[in-house]
Amino acid sequence: MSTPDAALAPPFAAEVPKPGLLQRVSSDAGLGIVLALPVVILMAAFVFVPVALTAWDSFHRVTPMLPGEPFVGFRNYTRMLSDPAVRNAWWNTWFYVAAAVSLELVLGLGAALLLNGMKHGRRWLLAAVILPWALPPVVNAMVWSWIYNPHYGLLNGLLMRFGLIGEARVWMNDQASALICVTLVHVWRMMPLNAVILLAALQTIPRELYEAAEVDGAGRLKTLRLVTLPLISGALGIALTQSTITAFNIFDEAWILAKASALTRPIQGQIYMTAFQDLKFSYGMAMSITVMLVSILVSSVYVLRIYRETRFD
Amino acid sequence: MTALHLRRAGMALAAILLLIWSLGPVYWALATSLMKPTDIAASPVNLVPPSITFEHYAKLVGGLFGQPDETGIWRDFLRALGNSLVLAGGATIATTAIAAIAAYAAVRLEFPGRNLVFYMIVATLAVPGYTVLIPLYRMMVGLGWVDTYGGIILIYISAYLPLSMWLMRSVYESLPLSIEEAAFLDGAGRLYTMVRIVMPLALPGLIAAAILTFLGAWGQFAVPLVFAPTAATKPLTVLIPEFATKNYVDYGLINAAGVFAMIPPALVVIFLNRFLLSGLMAGTGK
Repeated sequence: MSTPDAALAPPFAAEVPKPGLLQRVSSDAGLGIVLALPVVILMAAFVFVPVALTAWDSFHRVTPMLPGEPFVGFRNYTRMLSDPAVRNAWWNTWFYVAAAVSLELVLGLGAALLLNGMKHGRRWLLAAVILPWALPPVVNAMVWSWIYNPHYGLLNGLLMRFGLIGEARVWMNDQASALICVTLVHVWRMMPLNAVILLAALQTIPRELYEAAEVDGAGRLKTLRLVTLPLISGALGIALTQSTITAFNIFDEAWILAKASALTRPIQGQIYMTAFQDLKFSYGMAMSITVMLVSILVSSVYVLRIYRETRFD
Repeated sequence: MTALHLRRAGMALAAILLLIWSLGPVYWALATSLMKPTDIAASPVNLVPPSITFEHYAKLVGGLFGQPDETGIWRDFLRALGNSLVLAGGATIATTAIAAIAAYAAVRLEFPGRNLVFYMIVATLAVPGYTVLIPLYRMMVGLGWVDTYGGIILIYISAYLPLSMWLMRSVYESLPLSIEEAAFLDGAGRLYTMVRIVMPLALPGLIAAAILTFLGAWGQFAVPLVFAPTAATKPLTVLIPEFATKNYVDYGLINAAGVFAMIPPALVVIFLNRFLLSGLMAGTGK
């Protein structure tokens, strides 16, 4: 009864590729795992496990100078609070964050608006603007260090030539001007990234919106405040976040301009000294974890705020 | 009419200021590297070299052309230049290749946990690289990988892979699936399709990922400061600052060395700017 049916079953024969398809799906999964596995192992070995180890060791006393790794609870963390060197490094770091982030944002937005409004030569100006970001931070800092040189530097030379100062100043000798000098080098390097991020967002704003604002009689500043800034708030959030994280982790510029000088030493410089010169590994790790948490916390505040504001608009 | 003119003049002035701010320090490094020591130390300051000299460059690479040189700086310098090229080049090739394959797996191949893996890797972008330096140092000392190309390149890959994977994922997602489906219908396998059909289409994205990795690795300072203590692996970024720690600081020499280190990134900005910008925008903007 069923034999003739089975013999005449071309529709089922057409289903033959089905197991092939299934095989392909499962072989896709296998191939996917094979391709992803080396990356997972690499990232685990070089990032996830080290971060976990950093957190773990920060509750222990780990130093090659003393045997054993006893549990010390929060002692590495409480020690930071009363350590004048750490407090000083945090103070410097907060200065860098506040000054660098605001300068990078304002200058980056200005550069982006200028580039967006240019009809000729935008490509070339953009290439010039991006160059400082592409150069090695250490080389930037060495060039600026030469510019700040008290005897033969360009800064004193220009200021004296234009009669703005009477005699050469030693810029790195007092804390206020030294911090500003380091910040400027950092801003010189990181502002271009903000300019590119904001320019990309500006280019997505349709021209009609500006024309409509002009018809409505809105001035230039009002258009900027009511049309442009709300429309690029997402990009502003990204620019703020990247500026903040890089400023929290400033190291190269401060290290090249003033080595370990307490006047300019940022928290990452303090960590480097603690771990690799004093060999107090776990104390440095407690600082590392704190920097990581603080920089993630501060940037998530922006992200949430910007997210909320754009949603309400 | 006059308002428009005024506005144009304002924009031109702003463009000139921006240009001076961006290129001024680079020009100053180049000018200093070409000045005689007496002109460098002149007062008032020389904005343009009164006469051009290549003596600082000769100290760095002259030995290569058989010039007698008592300082021996050129050996250290060329060694460091070679190290920089090997470290940045190796990291760039490896990172781009791994990102190209792993991001493809994350976009096109269904496997359990693929989104978790992808987002965990990208989330490491929020972890400052410095956080892991201390445990990495202990690990590398234990393995005997400090001061080896392989060890340092592995650190660079783990640092720059997340951004490259993020970038490559957005590139693959923008490619139409129909091309790959057509290849399957023609009997092409997954790997063949990935390498021969998808990769060529994703080439601009691959170039952008390679550029971002190269610039990052070429400019790295903190990682080699810790992991490249001797001439065996020490790159330019660590060697050049050492020129300044002696009692006498030779600014002509430092700036000439700095100009050398600026050449590869400057070439990238001049000739590959289109890819660099698209990479930056895709890498940060989406």
